[in-house]
Amino acid sequence: MTGTQSNLTGEDQGRGQAELLAAIARGEKAALAGLYDSLSRPLYSLAYRILGDDAEAKDVVQDVFLQIWRKAGTFDPVRGSVFGWAATLTRHRAVDRVRMRKRRAEILAESAADLQPSPLSGNLDSSASLWHQEKARAVRSALGQLAPEQQKAIELAFFSGLTQLQISAKLNEPLGTVKARIRRGLLKLKETLSSKL
Amino acid sequence: MITEKHEELAALYAFDLLEGAERAEFESALAASSELRTLVHSLRETAASVALSAPQMEPPAGLKERIMSIATETHPEEKQEAFSWFKLVPWAIAAGLALVAIRLGTQNFSLRTENSNLLTERKLAETAYKMAQDKLTERSLLAEKMITDLGNKLRNSEDLARLKITALASLAGNTKASQVIAVWDPAQQSGLLAMDKLPPIGDTQDYQIWVVDPAYKDPVNAGIFHVWSDGRAAVPFKPDEPVAHAAAFAVSLEKKGGVAKAEGTIVMLGK
Repeated sequence: MTGTQSNLTGEDQGRGQAELLAAIARGEKAALAGLYDSLSRPLYSLAYRILGDDAEAKDVVQDVFLQIWRKAGTFDPVRGSVFGWAATLTRHRAVDRVRMRKRRAEILAESAADLQPSPLSGNLDSSASLWHQEKARAVRSALGQLAPEQQKAIELAFFSGLTQLQISAKLNEPLGTVKARIRRGLLKLKETLSSKL
Repeated sequence: MITEKHEELAALYAFDLLEGAERAEFESALAASSELRTLVHSLRETAASVALSAPQMEPPAGLKERIMSIATETHPEEKQEAFSWFKLVPWAIAAGLALVAIRLGTQNFSLRTENSNLLTERKLAETAYKMAQDKLTERSLLAEKMITDLGNKLRNSEDLARLKITALASLAGNTKASQVIAVWDPAQQSGLLAMDKLPPIGDTQDYQIWVVDPAYKDPVNAGIFHVWSDGRAAVPFKPDEPVAHAAAFAVSLEKKGGVAKAEGTIVMLGK
């Protein structure tokens, strides 16, 4: 697949998700089912990555889709994509759960291997959508282009639910260094992805 | 122009890593700058895409049916008008109202991004309010009971029953508005004089308290006091002699330091 084709696929997919969300806001249940088919896999994977527990990840995804069902009308396309919105909702809910059950340290220990720079060739299921595969591959590739310390800081910032100070302590680096790594890493990621997605 | 510092804060904000004053300060800057908002939106979108780096997993079977089943029982909320930052721009330009616009912008931004958290907080607050209300009701009932018990005790108290309470009447033309109450405890051989609007007197004079007991030829001296500009005083008194039967109480106006026998004008008298 060429980059151009991928790009078109991504744009079409994003537009399609926005249309589904607009239909959900009108109360069309079939649109909710359609959005579930499109987003449930990455959202469930995200929730599981943060929580490390399938039952809790399932609850989070259920809560998110029900929130989308009720609040679809609040979505503002000017501020980002449907996927970005849904992923943010999922992350917030999952991180809240991590903080509530006070098992952060335990979870981090359990998933310590995951916090290492991710392998660039993930095992993508053949049934995953083309859009999803392409986008996931692009994100992993972009993460792989970051300096390892930037990648680690970005992954901790996104998946762990730790505060700035806790990330600094975990990495055993000064707070200013951690902030700078997150800034440079995210800007670099943005630049790389904007040319790929 | 976005500074490097703002770039750093925007990146941290995109990951929800700003807290407290740092977050509030950045949101103020955010509300005032469309350029900064654009950067934050794009960084948040980029940050969200990191989700796709998670190892991919299939959602459990049955989850879709469960969600669709629950959704059937609920309805989407009315579509809300999309918020536009551009509406705030004129306010941001107006220097006099800039702070207000920043505050409103900050609140709206927070409300929209933290909507689910607020709903949870609201539920918690409602629960806390209900619990507080219940506690207050319990305390109110307890306080009411305590007051009732105390009142009963006071009514039944021998201490209260034995007190003699007398309102003294004004005898002089210039003390018509005066109010004086004498409370006398025969067991303790002491009392309290509470007064209001008693005319202030000069430095060369004192008011003097007298207790009238038929056992004595003259009223028994119970001490002196002075009233300042507000005419209010609460004066404990104790007669010089034992009083078996306090038939009346009087207040006279005497020379400074008082006298052994009443000489001046009796200004207040009560039986």
